[in-house]
Amino acid sequence: MSNIPSDLQYTKEHEWVAPTSDALRIRMGITDYAQGALGDIVYVQMPKVGESVVADKVCGEVESTKSVSEIFAPVSGTVVTINEALTNAPELINSDPYGAGWLVEIEVPSEPSGLLSAAEYGAITA
Amino acid sequence: MADFGGWLMPIEYPGAGVLAEHTAVRERVGLFDVSHLGKVSVTGDGALEFLNAIFTNDLNRIVDSKAQYTLLCNPDGGVVDDLIAYRNSDSDFFLIPNAANTTDVVRVLIENVPSGISVTNLHESFAVLALQGPQAVEVIRSLGINPTMDYMAFAHVSIAGCDVILCRTGYTGEHGYELVPTWSDAPVVWDALVEAMKPFDGLICGLGARDTLRTEMGYPLHGHELSLEISPVQASAGWAIGWKKESFRGSDVLQSQREAGTVRTLKALKSNDRGIPRAGMAVKAADGHEIGVVTSGTFSPSLKVGIALALLDPEYAVGDLVTIDVRGRESTATISALPFVPSHVR
Repeated sequence: MSNIPSDLQYTKEHEWVAPTSDALRIRMGITDYAQGALGDIVYVQMPKVGESVVADKVCGEVESTKSVSEIFAPVSGTVVTINEALTNAPELINSDPYGAGWLVEIEVPSEPSGLLSAAEYGAITA
Repeated sequence: MADFGGWLMPIEYPGAGVLAEHTAVRERVGLFDVSHLGKVSVTGDGALEFLNAIFTNDLNRIVDSKAQYTLLCNPDGGVVDDLIAYRNSDSDFFLIPNAANTTDVVRVLIENVPSGISVTNLHESFAVLALQGPQAVEVIRSLGINPTMDYMAFAHVSIAGCDVILCRTGYTGEHGYELVPTWSDAPVVWDALVEAMKPFDGLICGLGARDTLRTEMGYPLHGHELSLEISPVQASAGWAIGWKKESFRGSDVLQSQREAGTVRTLKALKSNDRGIPRAGMAVKAADGHEIGVVTSGTFSPSLKVGIALALLDPEYAVGDLVTIDVRGRESTATISALPFVPSHVR
């Protein structure tokens, strides 16, 4: 069973979205289920700071010893911060997908909608 | 689990993963179940001459109780399979071809076999377990077996009451052994090896680590570096060809390729950035024109960088800079010497 924290929101493409102290900024990453399916992650390509991303469109990729997988933007907005630690330690996504393995923070024009609850996401990965 | 030549194979085992399994083999010891590999027996007076007229390598180069890496080519020089031939005597050989190619190897042998020699497909009569890594020698010793054997030698031993052929062979670049018990004894031998590895912190390993380990050594994988379309001359596998033999399947074509020397040949690439090359990606020269294609590519767990084997135009050499088209991004790489990491097989 993968870990699905109840206080986060999710996409069917296995990204998670967390609120930040700023209501118009979210933090995102990939889920425990996704990292488990990928295996040892060895490379992450993230969007650049200042880049616009569009909900449900590819915004990066994550590569493991086994395969390459695309990262989909969970929301539309502008990338304001990326997790620089992943450049040299992509394995943080495996060890702490919801914590130190976060990917980027995105500034959004309004509070995001249309995301899945933990229960809904849990039903997809069950 | 993944389908591999019709066999359901683990890419990695739960609780470890490719990187941990790879590191176990490089630093300690790992155990692979490679029972999907084919097994074929060729017996009868004249077996050596029969196989020597078919396979590329020269079985006169080895003595009894030694194994040899060899190739089976088509008359046009394409590679049907690469395999290991174990010489019991000049009239008794045991072959271990690749899983997916076993029926083709058996078919070619049977089509050409003279009377008095028998070719028997023993695919599901024997299993193959690979114990690899610097501590493999101590694991074998702990089972009460003398582990001192020449590289590519084999002997008959007993493990947990089961008869096993113990071979000093492998596909990882580490000191190691491949063990051939009967199919029905294999679970008992596997369990005994898993238990014997425990004091040495060994891991059971899947196909993922097998691939990263062999790629770091530059060992070819049939379907990637060798195929019906890629000859052994291109794959830089000329060392597995007995050029002095009178003839063998494909010898005319291979000899002329060798003399012409103009075909794309296998080179090793090491990424200079964080790009990870994968099979099928185009390789370009500094001026942007295409000079070849990646045949195998992966993240090297030992070097922490992307590595690849690639067929490149012959004018490119070690030290040259190239670019690899990694899904639309340009990744730069340097042509490197093989192996990527030092070999410890001997």
